[in-house]
Amino acid sequence: MEAKPLPPDDPANRPFWEGAKRGILVLQRCLDCGRHRFPAARYCAQCRGERSEWVETRGVGAVESWCSFHKAYWPAFERDVPYDVVQVRLDEGVRVFSNLVGVPRERIRSGLRVRAHFEAVTPTATLVKFVPL
Amino acid sequence: MKQELAGRITVAGVGTTRYGKLPEYDAYDLGVWALKAALEDCGLSFDDVDGLIINRIPDYQRFGEITGINPRYTTITPGQGRFSGICIQTAVAVIAAGMADVIALVYGNNGRSAGDHYGGASDAYGSGGAGTWFPYGMTSPGAFHALMMRRHMEQYGTTTEQLGAIAAAFRKHASLNPDAVMRTPFTLEEDRAARYICEPLRLLDYCLINDGGVAMILTSAERARHLRKPPVYLRGFAQASALAGSTFPPDDYWRAPMQRVAAEVYAMAGAGPADMDALMIYDNFTPTVLFSLEGFGFCPAGESGPWVADGKLELGGAFPTNTSGGHLSESYMQGWALNVEAVRQVRGECGARQVAGANLVQYMTAAPVITSIIYGSEAAAA
Repeated sequence: MEAKPLPPDDPANRPFWEGAKRGILVLQRCLDCGRHRFPAARYCAQCRGERSEWVETRGVGAVESWCSFHKAYWPAFERDVPYDVVQVRLDEGVRVFSNLVGVPRERIRSGLRVRAHFEAVTPTATLVKFVPL
Repeated sequence: MKQELAGRITVAGVGTTRYGKLPEYDAYDLGVWALKAALEDCGLSFDDVDGLIINRIPDYQRFGEITGINPRYTTITPGQGRFSGICIQTAVAVIAAGMADVIALVYGNNGRSAGDHYGGASDAYGSGGAGTWFPYGMTSPGAFHALMMRRHMEQYGTTTEQLGAIAAAFRKHASLNPDAVMRTPFTLEEDRAARYICEPLRLLDYCLINDGGVAMILTSAERARHLRKPPVYLRGFAQASALAGSTFPPDDYWRAPMQRVAAEVYAMAGAGPADMDALMIYDNFTPTVLFSLEGFGFCPAGESGPWVADGKLELGGAFPTNTSGGHLSESYMQGWALNVEAVRQVRGECGARQVAGANLVQYMTAAPVITSIIYGSEAAAA
């Protein structure tokens, strides 16, 4: 069976995916203004500073919105439809798209507090999904 | 400076191809077809074109080569719908600066025959980082708008039935438009029975994917007065953007930048929302229509759902909108055909779907780049 897409192997984002493998949500943080960001970027979009570091976070945030895919854009998702995608705002201000684990659709709502849940999909790739806090 | 341009630049000619599945024509061919029609419309020739703005057609050099023209001013823009409004505004600035006198804006789209998809591995929506979210199954502009709509539903109680009223109104208009691809009217019950693509959005909330081309000829009011058709004046135009953080849906449904555009475009035109005889709203997905109506001040924030549900957008209603059927039912020409429909409404050329006495017609796009243009007749200046 055809596999689902994996995270692009962008060297700039490796610390994030390495962190996920260890069960920690790691974000890039600007050393000039302190703002967090992901995906990685050379310059901070807030202060344009070039100095940054990767920092561990609690991996906690809130659902802002969600949608349910009834169409599979990849064959490997056909067995999952309808599946839900959530838009989560981490407490550090960074937004991600992801999936909730163990939450029935009718219980999803904006404002739902969630924490990162790490799901190894291959020996080398671990996705950052979310569960209720 | 910009205020002084109100009413000085005009649309002299418009041209459109057939729409639908046109596998014999590539994007260049569709552009040439539309441009020939636009030149015929205003009585100018290829030799009169001294400015060329290309959109979606892959290469400007090849386009110039196959049409045999050597414009003084040339540019090309990415195939994103927000660029129709941007290109038209660029044309105005170029003409006003004296860098060209007669600008051909040419758009060609063979997306249907080329098998274009707006989701999956080729998804380039947003600012290019989409691949990061593919492992979670997140893809497509439709999903982006589904997320925005879900939030609007939670925040304000907006319903999918209200979206259905938009789609059904535009389809009703398309039934009066011989050029429209989808012309069979549907009921709200039929809309509700359509399958979900990305819930809360159903099939009929999505625009079409089809082939077609559109061209517009812009020139100064002085020059246009001697041409074949009565000029249609650009009474007002404005632009703003919300590019920062735009991989994700905007918290405010693009309201703040739309309010800036609205203030500017209405001041320039010396008119307000209530003065508009018809609206052309970029309808890639039905929720965008709601966001646009709120952002441009047709209704208070959060109230667009009930506002559209009682026929205001239909022919005969307070603000007939997308009288051609729009992207949902006429053809997905990424804003270009909506601008052409605005011109044709002001000229009174729309036959069964004509809005009586359409003197001011407003085009608007809600996207990471927001544009609006108010088209007016000679009478609207008086």
